[in-house]
Amino acid sequence: MKQKIKITNCLYILPVCLVGCMFLLQTTTLYAQDSTAVVKTAPVKAKPVKNTFDGTWLIDDQSVMVPVKGSFEFDIMHRFGTFGNGYQDLDGVFAPANIRLGVNYSPINNLFIGIGLSKTDMLWDGNAKYAIFKQTPGKSPVSVTYYGDMSYDTRFDPDHSLFTYTTDRIGSFNEIIIARKFSDKFSFQVAPTLSHQNAVAGYYTKNDSTGTTVFEQMKHDQFGLNMAGRFKLTETTSIIVDYDQPLTAEPTNNPKPNVALGFEFTTSGHTFQVFMGNYQMLNPEKNSFFNQNSPFPYTDANGTKVKGGMFCIGFNITRLWNF
Amino acid sequence: MKKKLIFISSLFSVCMMSFAFTTIQQPKPWPVPEKNAKMANPVKSDAASLASAKSLWNLHCASCHGKKGLGDGSKAAQLKTTPQDMTLASFQSQSDGSLYYKIAEGRDDMPSFKKKIPDAEDIWSLVNYVRTLKK
Repeated sequence: MKQKIKITNCLYILPVCLVGCMFLLQTTTLYAQDSTAVVKTAPVKAKPVKNTFDGTWLIDDQSVMVPVKGSFEFDIMHRFGTFGNGYQDLDGVFAPANIRLGVNYSPINNLFIGIGLSKTDMLWDGNAKYAIFKQTPGKSPVSVTYYGDMSYDTRFDPDHSLFTYTTDRIGSFNEIIIARKFSDKFSFQVAPTLSHQNAVAGYYTKNDSTGTTVFEQMKHDQFGLNMAGRFKLTETTSIIVDYDQPLTAEPTNNPKPNVALGFEFTTSGHTFQVFMGNYQMLNPEKNSFFNQNSPFPYTDANGTKVKGGMFCIGFNITRLWNF
Repeated sequence: MKKKLIFISSLFSVCMMSFAFTTIQQPKPWPVPEKNAKMANPVKSDAASLASAKSLWNLHCASCHGKKGLGDGSKAAQLKTTPQDMTLASFQSQSDGSLYYKIAEGRDDMPSFKKKIPDAEDIWSLVNYVRTLKK
């Protein structure tokens, strides 16, 4: 059957075609703007690996990361009480908490300096972090960063019952952080640490049949090892783990290790970490020396079996500005 | 008949009122210096460039511009300036240099990223990524 085409229908089709053609031409013109650009390709140059970790903190420890020059960071860190009292204090959530407020600034590339104040012991700390070298394909398989911290206990002590000398208030912490970004998702770091306390529990005298003996309850230096890692679940959400093992055996009050596990959420300017772990103090030398929250069951010096599982919930919030 | 007339006139009034309160937000002109607009993208749009840019996009851009660049990110509604739909040809018609300039310098609600993303190649990679959003 022969199709009939009415001339009146053509009158409607023509303007539609015309509009369509104009639209296409307009679209073509819009796309044509980039053609003026001269295509150049940059020579391939090995660059340091980026974002081994998203934040400067990994739960209770420093990450290997040092923000770029001009970065200013504000930290809010919070540790609730330890588990164990159940509903009475909502497993530590309503128990007395520890808080640290801190600020850091990066005056030059690879250096980050800061100060902070923790509620426990009204402890001021000053710290510095320096990226010695960074993981670079073909050059270095790992990133290495130094972190040092010095703290000053500012508790009120008019009668010198806590501190005989002013220098007794001082402690320090040093570590070398060695980290590798194994893939876009997985990064891991190891850090040997050395903590020092000018004043520890002191000495005591033991009187028995053998006579009088003077003991040093704790040593002034404590070696330790930190291990921490991150596994990215999405671009902005990660699982983070942190483990601290004290290495120096103390005569009494041996410090307990720290096992911490949590989540990290990252935005353009914020890092938010929520976790559970054993460290409740918010200072590395204090934690290295005095942590008695054990993740594992143990038998103390008197032969008493002590249950482990002394965890507390905590969070870190950091806000980063670039100047 | 009278009731019908009142109903139709009321409906017409409501329609007119709704048009009266509808404002179509036109993007404010954002002039880019000619020198910047003509800058060529030195970073090839390959898998490595797009992968690193996707990571940056999700971290720095998606909260306002949306995962697919539609301008529907979770923060978009709170902004004074509505983020543009990056999938449209009208947006994509900008030169690579213009996009680089706007990301680096920022304006109003759009922050400057030249300090937050200090490596220029990363911003060029973001430009490459923005090109993949085109419908």
